[in-house]
Amino acid sequence: MSRYLLKRILMMVLTLWIIVTLTFSLMHMIPGDPFASESDQLPEQILLNLRAKYNLDEPLPMQYLLYLKSLVMLDLGPSIKSETRGVNDMIKDGFGASALIGLQAIAVALFFGLLFGTIAALNRNTWIDYTAMVMAVLGIAVPSFIMAPLLINYLAIKWPLFPVATLTSWKHSVLPSLALAFGPLAIITRYMRTSMIDVMNQNYIRTAEAKGIPTFLIVIKHGIRNAILPIVTFMGPLIAGLLTGTFVVEKIFAVPGIGKYFVDGIFNRDYPVILGTTVFYSAILVLIIFLIDLAYMFIDPRIKLSSRGR
Amino acid sequence: MKKLAAFALSLSLVIPALAGCGGSGESTSTGGTTTPGAAAKQEVVFNAKSEPPDLNPLTSTDTTSFWIMDHLGEGLYTKDKDGNPIMGQAKEVKLSDDKLKYTFILRDDVKWTNGEPVTAEDYAFTYMKHLDPATASTTAYLLYYIKGAEAYNKGTGKAEDVGIKAVDAKTLEIELVAPTSYFDKMLATRYWHPINKKQAEANPKWAANADTYISNGAYKLVSWKHDSELVVEKNEHYWNKADVKMDKITWKMVNDATTAYQMYKSGELDFNKEMPSDILAQEKSSPDFKSVPYYGTYMYMFNVTKEPFTNKKVRKAFAMSLDRKALSEMVSQGGETPAYSMVPRGAMQPNGKDFREEGGDYFKEDYEAAKKLLAEGMQEEGWSTLPDVTLMYNTDESHKKIAQAIQEMLKKNLGVEVKMTNQEWKVYLDTTKQKNYQMGRMGWVGQINDPAFNLDYYLGESPNNRTGWVNKEYDQLNMAAKVEQDPNKRMELLHQAEAILMDDMPFIPVYHYQQNYLVKPNVEGLTFPVNAFPSARWATKK
Repeated sequence: MSRYLLKRILMMVLTLWIIVTLTFSLMHMIPGDPFASESDQLPEQILLNLRAKYNLDEPLPMQYLLYLKSLVMLDLGPSIKSETRGVNDMIKDGFGASALIGLQAIAVALFFGLLFGTIAALNRNTWIDYTAMVMAVLGIAVPSFIMAPLLINYLAIKWPLFPVATLTSWKHSVLPSLALAFGPLAIITRYMRTSMIDVMNQNYIRTAEAKGIPTFLIVIKHGIRNAILPIVTFMGPLIAGLLTGTFVVEKIFAVPGIGKYFVDGIFNRDYPVILGTTVFYSAILVLIIFLIDLAYMFIDPRIKLSSRGR
Repeated sequence: MKKLAAFALSLSLVIPALAGCGGSGESTSTGGTTTPGAAAKQEVVFNAKSEPPDLNPLTSTDTTSFWIMDHLGEGLYTKDKDGNPIMGQAKEVKLSDDKLKYTFILRDDVKWTNGEPVTAEDYAFTYMKHLDPATASTTAYLLYYIKGAEAYNKGTGKAEDVGIKAVDAKTLEIELVAPTSYFDKMLATRYWHPINKKQAEANPKWAANADTYISNGAYKLVSWKHDSELVVEKNEHYWNKADVKMDKITWKMVNDATTAYQMYKSGELDFNKEMPSDILAQEKSSPDFKSVPYYGTYMYMFNVTKEPFTNKKVRKAFAMSLDRKALSEMVSQGGETPAYSMVPRGAMQPNGKDFREEGGDYFKEDYEAAKKLLAEGMQEEGWSTLPDVTLMYNTDESHKKIAQAIQEMLKKNLGVEVKMTNQEWKVYLDTTKQKNYQMGRMGWVGQINDPAFNLDYYLGESPNNRTGWVNKEYDQLNMAAKVEQDPNKRMELLHQAEAILMDDMPFIPVYHYQQNYLVKPNVEGLTFPVNAFPSARWATKK
C-alpha cells in the first residue's frame, strides 16, 4: 500500500510537470503580447523595462526554468494585468467563493441525482420514470447560462426570494449553486437510473429478496452501494471543475470566484495567470482523482489498490 | 459537509466585518452639511463591472481604476463641476518669465487620509518614481513635459537632471522642456496625483488593499473586497471637505450586463452603464435614461501602404459611402453622433466655442460623388477592377454588427464588395501593428479633452499610427501647437492640422462615442466628464 501511494504521488508530480511544460509552450505559441493595447503609446525603452520586470526579455528556455523554480516554491508569479495582485493573491481571494458555490452545487446534484435516479429505476417504465427522464434530458440540454437568467428572473425579480447577484451572504449563494447544479444533477440521475436497473437484476438482489428483506433496506444496503461506482468515477473531473469555478455562472451572478481568470488570462495574454490557473486546476484534478481511487476501496472492498494487479 | 459549514462560517465572519466598515460613525458628522432635513442616507451604489486592476496613480491605465481614483486623489490642480482645471492641492503658482519654471505652493491644510500633511517632497518623490525606469510605468511618457524626464525614463539621463525639486515642505518647483500652455489641464488629471512617500517606500504593494491605501482627495478607501465590492467614504482630512456632498460610494463588481440591469431594476444599484442594445431600446424613453457625449472616435483605419488604399481618392470614396446616421440609429443604437472628423465634441477653445463646432464637418456623404471619385482613383492607378478589399475587426458582437452594416453600405452605395474577417483582440493588435490588413476597426478616446490628444494619434512616429500614413506638414503643425503660447493661435494650428488629416483621410471616422446611463431619479447632481465616468462628489440623494 505505501509503495503504491509513493508511486501515485510521483506520478502526480510527473503529470503536473508535463501539464506545465505543455501549457508553457502552447501559451507562447499564440500570437499577441501582454503589453499590446489600444493606447499603444509605449516608448521602446518602457517596453524593455516592462519585459525585464516580468523576465520576458530572457530566452524562452530560461523563462521556463525561472517559472519552474518559482513553482517549486509555490509562487505562481505576478499578474501582468494587475500591477498589485499576484496570481497567488487572486487564487487565495477567489477560491473560497468558487469552492462554496461548487461544493453546494455538488451536494445538491449528488443528493437529488441519486434520489431521482433510484426512484426512476425502481419505478421503471411508469410515469414517475418518464417524468424523471424528461427532466434529466432538459437538465442536460439547457445550459447554465440559460438556467441562470431564468432563475434570476423568477426567484429574484418576479418573486424576490433571493438577491439578484454578488456574494455577500449565504443567501446570495443559493441561486448560483442551483444554476450550477442542474447539469450534473441531470447527468447523475441518468447514470444512477441505468446503473440501478442493472444492479437490481443481479442474483444477489434476488437472494436478498428471497430472504424476505424489505425492498427499502435492499435498495439502501445492496442497491445504492453497488450502483454508485460509475458515478464515483464521473465525480472526479466534475468536482475539480466545480470547485475551481465556472466562467459563465460566476459572471452572471457576479461571484468573486476564480472562474474568470481561466478565460481572462488568455484574452489578456497574462502568461503567469494562464499558467497559474492551469497548474492550480490540474493539481486539484490530479489530487481528487487520487482520492477517488482511494474511495473505491471503501465503497467496494473487492477493489484492491496496488501497483501491480496483485 | 464539514467543509461546507466551514465555508459558510468564514463567509459569515466576513460580512459583519464589511458592514462594520460601512457604518463607521463618520456619516453623522457630515450629515449636517449635506441636504439639511433630508432623511435619505447620502450613499450611492455604482457598478464598476470588474475589479479595478490598479489604483496606483503611477501605473494605472484603465477607465475603471480611473473612475475610482478620480474620487480618491487630487493633484496640484483639480477639476471643477464643468471639468475646468482649478487650483487643487496647490494654493498658489508662479510661472517664470520664460514660462518654463513653475513654482507651486501647497495649501497649509492639505493632508493624507491618515492625517499627515502632504508635502512637496511627496510630490517630488511621486513624479520621480513615475519616471523611474524600474517602475516601468506605461504612462511615464505623459510626464515628458518635464525637463530631463524623457532621458531619465529612457535610461540615457540621470535622476539629478530631472527638473523636479522640493524646495521646502510646501514649495515644489517643476521645470519644463518647452512652454506648455495646457500644463494646468495635465496637472488636473489622475496621472499627477501624489502618492504617500513613506507608505510607498515601506510597502511597494500599498495600493493593493484598503488597509494600506493612502490618498489625499475627497474620499478615502475604506473597504475593498477583491472582485466583489469597493467602498469609499468622505475623507475628513480633505482640505475642501465642505465641497463634498455624497458621503459614501460603493462600487459593486458585476460584469454581466443583464445581471447589472436587473440589479438596477431591483434597486441594488443606483446607476447602470454599458447596456446592450435591447435594454437601451427598452429604456430610452425612461426618465432614468441619461445620454452624454464621450470624448472618442470610432473609426476604420486604412493601411495606406496596401492597394487600393494607396490612393487618396479611393480612401475618400469609401469614407463618403457610409450612411452614418443609419449606423448609429439602427445598428449601434447608442445615440452616437455621426463623425466627419477626428476630434470629437467636448474640447473647449479659449474663445468659449467647442473645437468641433468651430471646425465643422470635413466631408459629406455623397454616393454619386463617391462613385465618381472611385472611378477617378482607379483610373489614376490604372486599375480596371478594384483590388480585393478585406475589412477587419476584432471579435465582438457589436463590432461585427457595424462591420456587416458597412459591408452592406459599401456594396449598395459604392458598388464595392468587400470581404470581412475578424480576429481576437490581442491577435488583432499584433496583425494591425504589422500592417497585415487593408482596413481595420479602431477606437480612440483622448486622455485629456484637448484636440492635441486626439490628433497626436496619427503623428508619423506615434506607435498608435498603424496606417503607414506619414505627413511632414501634419507633424510640424502638431509640434508647433505643442509649444505655441497663444492659446487662440494654438487652436488655429490644430484646426489646420486636422484639415490636412481629413484631406488625406488615412481613416474613416464612423461616429463619436456616446455614453448611456441609467440613474435612479432620487440621485441628483452627478457630473459627467467627457472622457471619464460620472463623479458622485457633488451628488445628493433624496
